Amino acid sequence: MANLNNTEVIYGLYNDEEDLLRAVKTAKKDHLEIHDVFSPFPVHGLDQLLELEESRLHQAGFIYGALGTLTAFLGMTWIYTKDWPNIFGGKPYWSVPAFIPITFELTVLFSAIGMTVTFYIINGLGPGVVNKHLDDRITDDKFCLAFDKSQVNSEEAVAFFKTTGASEVNSKTI
Amino acid sequence: MNQYTLTSTHRNILFGAMGLGLVCLVLTWIGDDVQHTRFWSNFLHNSVFFTMISVMALFFISACITSYAGWHTTFKRVWEAYSMFLFVGLALLLFIGLGMYMHWHHLYHWSAEEDVANDPILLGKSSFLNKNWYFFGTLIFVGIWAYFAYKIRSLSIQEDSSGNEGFMHHKSMKVYAAVVLPIIGFTSAATIWLWVMSIDAHWYSTLFAWYSAASAFVAMIALTILLIIVLKSNGHYKEVNENHLHDLGKYLFAISIFWTYLWFSQFMLIWYANIGEETIYFKERYNNYSALFFLNLGINFLVPFLVLMRNDTKRKFGSLIFVSIVVLLSHWLDYFLMIKPGALINFNHSQGHGEGQIESGIHGTMGHGTEHVSNFVSGFTIPGLLEIGTFIGFLGLFMYVALQVMTKSALVPKNDPYLDESMHHHVI
Repeated sequence: MANLNNTEVIYGLYNDEEDLLRAVKTAKKDHLEIHDVFSPFPVHGLDQLLELEESRLHQAGFIYGALGTLTAFLGMTWIYTKDWPNIFGGKPYWSVPAFIPITFELTVLFSAIGMTVTFYIINGLGPGVVNKHLDDRITDDKFCLAFDKSQVNSEEAVAFFKTTGASEVNSKTI
Repeated sequence: MNQYTLTSTHRNILFGAMGLGLVCLVLTWIGDDVQHTRFWSNFLHNSVFFTMISVMALFFISACITSYAGWHTTFKRVWEAYSMFLFVGLALLLFIGLGMYMHWHHLYHWSAEEDVANDPILLGKSSFLNKNWYFFGTLIFVGIWAYFAYKIRSLSIQEDSSGNEGFMHHKSMKVYAAVVLPIIGFTSAATIWLWVMSIDAHWYSTLFAWYSAASAFVAMIALTILLIIVLKSNGHYKEVNENHLHDLGKYLFAISIFWTYLWFSQFMLIWYANIGEETIYFKERYNNYSALFFLNLGINFLVPFLVLMRNDTKRKFGSLIFVSIVVLLSHWLDYFLMIKPGALINFNHSQGHGEGQIESGIHGTMGHGTEHVSNFVSGFTIPGLLEIGTFIGFLGLFMYVALQVMTKSALVPKNDPYLDESMHHHVI
C-alpha cells in the first residue's frame, strides 16, 4: 500500500493474527495513523478494517480472459476457414464445437499469465529484483504493524505496542 | 424467531399453487391424446425433477458432514426438510411404476412386450429395462435414500434436546452420511437411467447421470437460496447472513459451470464420433426443439456465469433472487428437454404400429412409425401454460412438505458441534 522509500518506521511484531487485528482496531480508536501492515498470509477482515479498496486484479483477469477467448476463437476461425481450410472427419470448416475446448484453454492461459505478470509488476516483484522489507520473519510467522515516525510520536507508538501485546518493537529506515 | 410456523398467508399461497397444479393436471388429462402422453410426461417430468432436488439435498448434507464442513450448520434444517420430500417423491414415482403394470401410460417404449420381442437392442437391455426393475428399483433405491434422510434428520433433532456430549449424535450422523454417499452415487445413476434416459430406449450416454444430477444440484441450490431469503424476509434466520449466501452463490456459480461442462462433454463426444444411433438424440432436439435447445444451454451457462462472477452479486438479495429464479426455471426446462422429445417419439411410434392407426392422437403427427416430427405440438415443442401450471403445483407441493417439516423443529440447530463456526462464518 504505502510507499516504502526512505521512510523511517517504527514497527511492532505480533505472534498471532488475532493480536494484529486487535492492535489495528486499537490504533484506529486512538487515531494513530497506520503506515502499513504485513502478514505472511491473508487475514480475514483485515482489508475492511484498514478500509482498503477492493483489488482490481480480477477485473484485469476478466479482460485477459476475454482476450484469450477472442484470440483462440477468431484465430481458429481464420485459420480453418480462410488461411488453411481442412476437412477433418467430414465436419464443416467452421466446426464450432471443436473450437470450444481450445478456446477454454486459451482463456484460462491468458488470464492466468496476464494476472501473474500484472501482479508482479504492480508489486515490484520479479526475477533479479531485490525488495526491501522490514523483517524477514514477516514472510514466515510474524505479523507486523508499522507507523511512520514523522507521523506518530515514538513514545506513544512504543506504549501502544506494549499495551497491544507486540512481542518486539523495532525501528528501521527503508 | 427460531421456530417457524406455517403462516396462513404461506398456507394459502401453497394451497393455491397446489390447486392450480391439480387443475392444470386435470385440464391436461381432458385435452390429451388417447394415451394421455402429455399428462403422464408432465407428471413424470415434475416428479423426477423434485425428487432429484430432494436427493441432491440429502447428498449435499451428507457431503458436508463427511467433509467436516461447518459453514452450512445454521441453515442445515432447510436441506433436512428438502430431503424429506423423498417420501412424497417415492410415492409419485411408484405411481408411475404402477401405471406401467396397469397399462395406464406408454411413456416407455421398452415396457411394451411385443415391441421388445422384435427389437434386438431393447431385448439386449431387457434385463435392466423392465417393469420390475422400474418399480422395485425405485422402491428400494428411493426407499433407502428416504430412510437415510429420515435418520440424519432425526439425529440432528435429537441433538437439539439431548446435547452434544461426546458428539454422540454427530458421530453417528457421520456414519450414516458416509454410508449413504456411495449409495447415492451409484443408485442415483441407475434411477435416472430408468426414469429419464430410458425414454429414448435405444440411446444411451455414460455422462447422462452426472449431467442430470448436476442439473438437479443447481436447482436445489437455487431453491435453497430462495427459501432462505423468504424466511429471512419473514424475520427468521437472523443468523444466516450474506456470508452464508455468498457461499451458496459460489455453489450456484460453480455447479452451473460444471453442468455446462457436462452438457458440452456429452454433446461434443457424440458430435465428434458422429455415430447414427448416438446422434439421433441430439438431432431430434436440434431440429425440432432448436430454440429451447440453445436457450437451455445459453441461459444456464451465461446468466450465472456473468451475473455471479463478481463478489458483491453473490452477497446481495436482488442478484441472487434473479439468478436463482432464472436458473431454477431453466433447469426445469433442461429436464423438459430430456423427457418430452422422447415421449413424443414413443407416442408416434406406438400409433404407427398396431392398434389400427388411431387418427385421433396428437394432431398432425401421425405416420407409420415415423421418428421425425416437424410439426409444432403444444406441451411438447415448448412448455405450454398447462406445463407451467403443473410446475407451480409441484413446486407448491414440494414447498408445503418442506415447510411442514420445518415447523417440527427449531430453524437453527442448538447443539451441533459446528454451530459456532457457522455463526462466525466469514468469507471476505
